[in-house]
Parts: sequence; C-alpha cells; structure tokens
Amino acid sequence: MLDLFWLGISEIFQVHILIVIFLGVIAGILAGLIPGFTVTMAIVLTLPLTFGMEPVTGVAAMIGVLVGGMSGGLITAALLGIPGTPSAVATTFDAYPMARKGQPGKALSIGIWASFLSSIISFFLLVSIAPQIANLALKFGPWEMFSLIVAALTIIASVTGESILKGLIAGLFGLLIATVGADPIAGISRFSFDIKTLRAGIPFLVVLIGMFAISRLLNSVERSELEKDLKQKQEEKIKGITFVLKPKQTFMTVIRKPVNLIRSSAIGAIIGAIPGAGGSIANIIAYDQAKKWSKESNKFGKGHEEGVVASEAGNNSTVGGDLIPTIALGIPGSAVTAVLLSALMVHGINPGPLLITNEPNIVGGIFLAFLVASFFMLITQFLGIRLFVRVTEVPTRILVPVILMLCVIGTFVLNNRITDLYLLFIIGIIGYFFTKYKFALAPIIIGVILGPIAEVNLRRAFMSNPDWTLFLTRPISLTFLILAFLSVGFTIWQTQKAKVK
Amino acid sequence: MGEIVIGILLILLSAIIYFNSGNFQQLNETHLDPGSYPKLIASLLALFATILLIKKTIELVREKSLGFEGGMKKYLLTQWNEYKFVVLILLTLGLYILLMNVIGFMVSSIAFIIITGLIIGPRKKKNIMLISLISLIVTLGMYYFFENVLYVRFPDGILF
Repeated sequence: MLDLFWLGISEIFQVHILIVIFLGVIAGILAGLIPGFTVTMAIVLTLPLTFGMEPVTGVAAMIGVLVGGMSGGLITAALLGIPGTPSAVATTFDAYPMARKGQPGKALSIGIWASFLSSIISFFLLVSIAPQIANLALKFGPWEMFSLIVAALTIIASVTGESILKGLIAGLFGLLIATVGADPIAGISRFSFDIKTLRAGIPFLVVLIGMFAISRLLNSVERSELEKDLKQKQEEKIKGITFVLKPKQTFMTVIRKPVNLIRSSAIGAIIGAIPGAGGSIANIIAYDQAKKWSKESNKFGKGHEEGVVASEAGNNSTVGGDLIPTIALGIPGSAVTAVLLSALMVHGINPGPLLITNEPNIVGGIFLAFLVASFFMLITQFLGIRLFVRVTEVPTRILVPVILMLCVIGTFVLNNRITDLYLLFIIGIIGYFFTKYKFALAPIIIGVILGPIAEVNLRRAFMSNPDWTLFLTRPISLTFLILAFLSVGFTIWQTQKAKVK
Repeated sequence: MGEIVIGILLILLSAIIYFNSGNFQQLNETHLDPGSYPKLIASLLALFATILLIKKTIELVREKSLGFEGGMKKYLLTQWNEYKFVVLILLTLGLYILLMNVIGFMVSSIAFIIITGLIIGPRKKKNIMLISLISLIVTLGMYYFFENVLYVRFPDGILF
C-alpha cells in the first residue's frame, strides 16, 4: 500500500500534471454549478482532450473534474436553494435556510470543509480497501467474473430509475449494443447487417455522449424546461448576496462533531461503492441518518450546521467509494467511473483485478490525484467562490449550442470517423426517448462497457468446462448470483409494500 | 403509450438479433459459438420487454382514455408547443452532421452554433452579435487545439 503511495507521488507531483488537475477541478466546479450541465457531461467532454496525454495525466484530469463537480453543486444549493446537481439536494435543506438567515458565508464554508474532510476520509477507505479486494479477486475464475457482472448489473438496475423492470431492460439493451461488431473471442463480425458504420461495433464513448449529453440537452430545450430555467434565473439575485467566508471558525465547527462527519462520510463511501448508487442517493441517506442520530434533530431543516455537514460529506465521499470497485475489480459503479475506465482502455490499459499488480504507477497516480484534487478543491472554492457564482448566469441559448458542438467534436476525435457522428445522432434520439419514459441510463452505459467482459468470461468458463452447474457450485460465484437474486427480490418486495401503503 | 411502443421496438430488436445469431462460423474448440451469448441476451430482453408491454397495456385499458379529451387538434398543438425546439434542434444537428463533409468543419460548426442559438434565444441584434462571436471563438479554438496539439484532421470543405 505504501509503495503505491510513493509511486503515486512520483507520478503526480510534476508541474504539468498538477496544472491539469487544477484545471479539472475548476471545470468540475463550474459543471456542478451550472444547472442543466452535469458532472457526467463534463467528464465525457474531458475524455477526448485527454487522448493526447499520458494515461496518468488524463486520468488525473478526470479525477479533478469529478472531485470538483461533487462540490460545485453546493454553491447554488446554499445561495439559491436550487441543487446544481442531484447530489446536492439535501444540501438545500439546511444550507439554504442558513443563508436566508443571513449567514450565507457560514453555510458555504461549512459545506466546503465537509466536502474536503469527507474526501480525505474516503481516500483512506479507498487506499486501504481497494488492494485487499483486488487480492481477493485475483483468485476469481471466469465463473466468478461472470456472476460478479450479473450481480453488478442487477444491482444497478434495482437502485436506479423508476422500476426494476425498466432498469433490467436498460441493462440488457446496453449488453446487446455491445454485441455489435467483432466478437471478442473469435473476431467474427456480428450484426453489422452489411452497414459499414456498424462493422467496427458501436464505440462506448459514442453511446455515452449520445445518452448522457445529447439526450439531456434535448430535454433542456423543451418548452416547460426552458420556462422553469428562465423563472429561476429571474429570481436569482445572486449578485446582490454578500458573504464573508470564515474558514478558520467553520473548520472548528465541522471538526467539533467528528462522529457526524465520519458517519456521513462512511455512508457516502459505502453507497458510492455499490454499483449504480452514487452521490444523488448518498446525500439524502446521510442527511436522514444524521437527523436520526442527532441530539438536536428538531433543528434540522431550519439551517442546522450538522445537516449541511451530513449532506456535503455524504456526496463527496462517494467519489472514493465509487473508485473502490472500479480499481479493484474493473467494474465501474457509475457512468463517471465508466468513462474513467474507458480512458484507460484508450491507452491500452486493461482494467480488472490485475490492474494494481500490472500498473501500480497508474493506480498510485489515481489515488494521489484524488488526494491532490481534494486539496485543490478546498483552495479554489475558498478563493474563487465569488467568481464561480457569476457563472450560473450563462443562458441556455448559449450553453446548448456550444455543448452540442463539443459533443460532435468529442465523438469525431475518438476515431476520426464521420460515421460515428451518424451513430451519435441516432443514439441521442434513443437516449432522449428512454429518459422521457423514465428508463435509467446508467444501466445501459454499464451494460455497454461490461458486455464484452461478460461474454469473454462466459465463453471461457464453458471452454474450460462445459458443465454450467459450476456457476452454482463454486461458492463465490454462487454468492454473487444470490446477491443478484436478492437485489431483484428486495426491490420488488419494497415496491409491493409501497403500493399497499 | 410510449412504453408500449418502446416495448414493441425492443421485442423486434431482440428478434432481429436472435434470428441473425444462428449462422456464424463455428470454431471447433469453443463450446459456445459467437451467436450463443447474443441469443441469451436477446431472449432475456424480449422476455422483460414483453412483461413491460403487458403491464402497460393493462394500465392503458384500465384508464380507458388516451389523453385526447380536448380534441386531437388541441392535443397536437400543445405537444408541438412543448417539443418544437427539440424537433428543430434535432433537424439542425442532423443537417450539421450531414453537411460537415461537404462544407467543412469550420463553416458548418460556426453556422450550427449561430442557428441553434437563434432557434432557442430571441432574434435580437445584440443576441446575434453575441452568439456569432462565441461561435467564432469556440470553433477556432477547438480547431486549432485539436489540429495542432492532438493532430486530428477535421474534414475540410470547399471553402476552408
């Protein structure tokens, strides 16, 4: 573990990498801040920019965006009561009332400290847990890997979106998209239907940009969305708000109740590690738990410090949690870490349990980049918050065309193929209809990235032994399948219970 | 309504994949041929899509209304009002992608940003100036960054 740390230091502490992380953090904060522009979009658009960089530099840039983005939602949540990202919903419960009571500076500083300290806590969890899990996973055969992917996908399907049925459909749709193109073992071309565009398969990044950026942008130009946005911007008197940040005092406020901070961070990290569940769920659960355990639970919702700490600690620590399965198993828990893995794959690095053994410098770099990004986030938030606040005023009519064009460039740059753009257009429309009818997009993305791995492992399993009962008789494989089964069963039971009520 | 259409389309997709999975070359050492895994996924997808289809059809029959109470014309008008920009922007995006190879990356990108910006925003002189300026800066910036730093060749058109 310590050698990983040293390797990471030697990788990351170079001027150009530090600058890249710093820029990433700023971009992330801005993305988290502008309503309608998501952190996922920012990460997706960062990816093409990293193609020319070294793998470590590229991944470090993306980690910067991720860490910054998680804390960016805080600003609008506290000052306007509008969460810039879904991860900051619970922040509005207490930070906004606090700001309304005339303490906007206090609300922001507490949020920034909570974000930073929880990132540090989740960093230690990540560094100590990920290598252990990877060690365990090295013993996995193809049976275990396949069952693990089945479990990951069903869990994602059950925690995201409106219903588990739609989640499963979305996941399977993603797996199906991934089968187009050359088959991963024999290289035989499949399902191209003699269309040239499809012969090379449907690239992951094209699916990602289409699903997460194009469909989201189309959604934001619907009449009712535009009007909602306009109304919010008219209400904003954000320029008029004056505030004084008091870093030292608020640091003491946050640190004085360590139990709340640590509990919320641990909740965030655990939820982040579950595939599909991320900051948007963690901040609410952390807030809820803080309220239950607090001695002053009646003060919650009226501008209580503990509420701000719980929510912001809950959402920022998901980053560290999310990286655990991503690094240790090669199984991304969210769209964001899926992009991170695809960035590694672009550079010819294969994610999986062997990553830590084979590429210790990359893993160390990821760990250290996370730590450095947290420090940069703290500094830029305290120094630059006045400037960031201005950015919420960028109008939709400028944002939408520019981002659409960046999506097109990003897709083109990937393979230098115009035909990828046709795919992008079609996938964007599909994604738009899927979101319109409340199918979750995360299972599709994870399905696309895990599809080939699932197929390779399934076929390898049958190659070494045609007996399919091995999936059920090997204990670890069975555990994963039971987990998959339980997650489906539990979700169905829960919805039935909710219906009865 | 929409879920039913999506369900039917997904079942069709699964059927296409399933029935195209039978005739791949078989390599003798593999026990699963290239078509077996897609077949498995397609069957599962078809199964779940059918469940969704049945569920939503039952809901639709129970509700007994299709939401056209105010008359078909009024319904279409409100829908058009809500989704006008979505359709227009999709059309512009489609044209942008199609024309990029013909008139080149620079011209098409600048035009795309200006047109899209004017579809959503007010067509006032100040706004036109602003969006034109932004489109120029963004396009030129991206062009030079990718051509000179990452050595990407963008399609050149007749003019540039």
